[in-house]
Amino acid sequence: MKRYLISFHVLVVLLLGLSVLAWLKPADEFSTSERRPFAQFPEVSVKSVLSGEFTAAFEEYATDQFPFRDDFRTLKAIAKFYVFNQKDNNDIYIYDSQASKLDTVMKDNMIENSLQKMNFLYNSFVKGKTDKVYFSVIPDKSHTLAPAGGYPSLDYEALANRFKDGLEWAEYIDIYPYLHYSDYYTTDTHWSQDKIVDVAQVIADKMGATVEKDLTSVTLDKDFYGVYYGQSSLPLPPDKITYLTSDIIEGCEVYNFEKGYDFTTGRYTTVDKVYDMEKLDSKDPYEMFLSGATPLLRIKNPACDTGRRLIIFRDSYTSSLAPLLLESYSEVILIDIRYMMSTFVGNFVTATEFKDADVLFLYSAMILNSSESFR
Amino acid sequence: MLFSGIPFLFYFLPAVLILYFCAPKCLKNAVLLLSSLIFYGWGEPVYLFLMIASILLGFFIGMFIDKAKSKVAKKIWLSASVLSSIALLGFFKYADFFIENFNAVTGLSVALLKIALPIGISFYTFQILSYTIDVYRGNVPYQKNIINFGTYVALFPQLIAGPIVRYVDVCRELENREHSIEKFYLGMRRFIVGLSKKVLIANQMGAVCDLFRETSEKSTLFFWIYAVAFAIHVYFDFSGYSDMAIGLGKIFGFNFIENFNYPYISKSISEFWRRWHMSLGSWFRDYVYIPLGGNRVKFGRWLFNTLVVWMLTGLWHGAAWNFVIWGLLYAALLIGEKLFVKKIIDKSKIVAHVYTMLFVTIGFVIFNAPDMATAGKDLLGMIGIGGYSLTNSFTFYHLSSNAVIFILGIIGATPLPRLIYTKLSDGKTTVKAVAVIEPVICVILLLLCTAYLVDGSYNPFLYFRF
Repeated sequence: MKRYLISFHVLVVLLLGLSVLAWLKPADEFSTSERRPFAQFPEVSVKSVLSGEFTAAFEEYATDQFPFRDDFRTLKAIAKFYVFNQKDNNDIYIYDSQASKLDTVMKDNMIENSLQKMNFLYNSFVKGKTDKVYFSVIPDKSHTLAPAGGYPSLDYEALANRFKDGLEWAEYIDIYPYLHYSDYYTTDTHWSQDKIVDVAQVIADKMGATVEKDLTSVTLDKDFYGVYYGQSSLPLPPDKITYLTSDIIEGCEVYNFEKGYDFTTGRYTTVDKVYDMEKLDSKDPYEMFLSGATPLLRIKNPACDTGRRLIIFRDSYTSSLAPLLLESYSEVILIDIRYMMSTFVGNFVTATEFKDADVLFLYSAMILNSSESFR
Repeated sequence: MLFSGIPFLFYFLPAVLILYFCAPKCLKNAVLLLSSLIFYGWGEPVYLFLMIASILLGFFIGMFIDKAKSKVAKKIWLSASVLSSIALLGFFKYADFFIENFNAVTGLSVALLKIALPIGISFYTFQILSYTIDVYRGNVPYQKNIINFGTYVALFPQLIAGPIVRYVDVCRELENREHSIEKFYLGMRRFIVGLSKKVLIANQMGAVCDLFRETSEKSTLFFWIYAVAFAIHVYFDFSGYSDMAIGLGKIFGFNFIENFNYPYISKSISEFWRRWHMSLGSWFRDYVYIPLGGNRVKFGRWLFNTLVVWMLTGLWHGAAWNFVIWGLLYAALLIGEKLFVKKIIDKSKIVAHVYTMLFVTIGFVIFNAPDMATAGKDLLGMIGIGGYSLTNSFTFYHLSSNAVIFILGIIGATPLPRLIYTKLSDGKTTVKAVAVIEPVICVILLLLCTAYLVDGSYNPFLYFRF
C-alpha cells in the first residue's frame, strides 16, 4: 500500500483540484483567442431538464468555461503536431510559418447557392444598366501553401471554372497567378494589403482604371493575432499589419450604412475614414480596413471628379483591396450580401447608380464554397 | 453522460467520489444508486422511468421465483421475466426494424414508431435476465434489498457500455466490499488507461472513418485504411470503455469481469470470440447456446443452435440487417473452422493470424456500414471494384498524418505494452523507477485527455445502437 500512497494522492489532488477550479471559476463571456462568445450556465427549469436541453447546454458550458482552457488547447495542439506527428489540428495546418485551413471538399450545393445569388443580383439590379461587369475569385492561401507543403487542397482551378461557366455575363479577371501564400498574414485568412498591389493593378487594368503609384506603406507596432492563431492553439508569432495610404485615400469620405444611415431622411449622419484606427483595439484588428463587416459602404473620393462609379459585391477581402482602387473613381460602393438581403439591394443602391457603373463581383473561394451566409 | 466528457470527469465523478467515501457503509449503495440514476437520466431523463420499472420488475420477479412453491410457478415467473425483457427490447429496439421489413415484404406502409433507443437497454436487460435465470436455477439467492438490486442493475460504471456483469459475480460485493487506497489508485490508473485508449486512439481513428465516409476522394488504399482504422477504433473505444468501467468499479470496491483479452492476436475466429466482448459471449453461451443443447447434439441441431446464437449476437448489436449479416458471417466462419478450416490454419501461425484478422476486419466493415448496400460497396472498394484509383494524394496525406496513431493502435492491441510494464515493474533495478514514472504518466495522460476534451474534439458514442 505504501507504494501507491503518493501516486494516490497525486491523482486525487489533480482530479479534485481541477474539479474545484471548474466549479468555482467565474464564467468568461468571450474568448479572445477563439473569437467567439462562451456558453453560459444554462437556465434550469423542469422543461429544460426533462427535454435534455439543460444537460446538452451544460456540457457546452462546462467545456467552454473549463479552467486554463487556452493552455489545454495549446497542449492538445502540441501533442497532435509534435507527439503524434499529425499534420493538422482542428483542420489547421502549419507550413513555412504560415497557418492555414484544410479545405478539400468542393461543396456543390454551396457553389450552386453562390451562383444563384450572383445571377439574381445581376438579373435584378445590373442587367441592362451596364455592360462593364467583372468577377474574380480570391484563392485561399492554401492554393499555393498546400501543394508546397504536401497538404491536400481544394481544386481552385475547377472552382473558378464553375463560376466562369455560371456567370457568362461577367468578364473573368484571373488573379490566381499574382497570389502566393506569402502575400497573406501568417496567422490569418486574409491577404496583407501591402502584398496585393499587383492584384489591384490587374483588376484595375481590366476595368480601365488605375492604381496610385505613390502609396505610402505604414507598419503598425501593434501585434496582430489572426483567426488561425486561435484556431491552431499554437503559440505562433504574431503578424504586423501594414497598410498603404496616400492623400487621395486620406481624403476619401466613407459612409457606413450600419453606423450612420438615417432611414427617415435617407442620409448619412456620420462620415468615416478609409482606415479606422479605433478598430485596432477590437477583437479583429483587420477591421481597421473600412471598419470591417457591414452591409453597405459608400466611399466618396473628392479627388476624382469624373463621376465614375465602381460597385463591388464583396466579402471581407475587399476591405483591404478597395482602397487601392479609389484613384479612378468618384464613388466606390461596397455591398456585402452576408449582411443584407439580396432582394433589398435595390432599396439602397438605385438603378441610376448602377447605370454605366463598373460592377465587380469579388469573392474569396472560401466564401463561395461555404455560402450559407449569403442572404 | 459519457465517461469521456468534461461534465463526467470534473463534475459528476468528483462529486460522487466525495459523497460515496463520506457516506457511512449502510448508505454507500444508496449513493451509488442515486448517482447512477442521475447519470442515466442525464441524457434522457424520460427513460429514467423505464430504468426504474425494469429494476422493480427484475426485483419482484426474482423474489417471486424464489418464493414460488412449485417448479411450474417458478417457471411461470421466469417466463414472465424473459418475456417482459424481450418485450421491452422488442418495443424500444426492434419495433421499427420489424415494421420496416414488414412494410418491405407486404408493400404496406405502416408508420414507424421512431422511438429513441434508451441507452444501455441491451446491457441492463441482459443483466436482469441473468439475475432472474440464476435465481431460477438456484445459483444465487434472490436479493432482498431493492437498493442493492437497483445498484446492481443501474451501476453507472458499466451501465451504458458493459461489461455485462452477472449478479452472481457481484452479489457478495453488493453486500460487503472492501475499499482501500491501493484499490482506489489501481482503479484510477485503469480508468485513465481506458480514457486514453478512447480519447487519444479510438477517437482519432474514428475521425479517419468519418472522413472516409464524407470524402469523394476515395481510393482502394483508402478503403483498406478505413477498414483498419475502424478495427482499431472499435477495439480501443470498446475496450477503453470496459477499462474505465472496471477501473471505476475497483474504486467503488467491485471486481468486474474482464471484457477483452487482446482479441487481435487471435489465431482463429473461435479464439477471437473468446477474447472479444467476453461478457456478451459467455452470456449467450450460458443462457442461450447451452440451454439450446450446445454442441452435444446432432449435427443439424448444432448448426441450428450456432446460427440462432450468432444471429442473436448480431441483432444484439443493432436493429439492422448489416448486424444480422455480421453475426451470421461469424456463424459461417465458426462452422467452417469446426469442420475443416481449423485443420488448415493450424499448420501456420502466420496464416492463422492473417486469416483471422482478414475476416475480423471484413466483419467490421459490414458492422460499421449504415446499410448493406454501403457495406457491399465498401467490400468491393477494398478489392478495387468501383472505379477507384489505387491511391491518391488525399489518401497518402491521411495515412501519413495518422501513421503514429495507427502504429500505437496496432502495438497497443497486443500484449507488448503490458509485457514491458510487467518486466520493468518486476525488475530489481527498475521497480523504483516504475513507481515514480507510473503516476507521472497517469498525470500526463489525464491532462492530455482533458486537453482533447476541452478542445471539443471529435468524441463519438459507438453504443447508441446497442
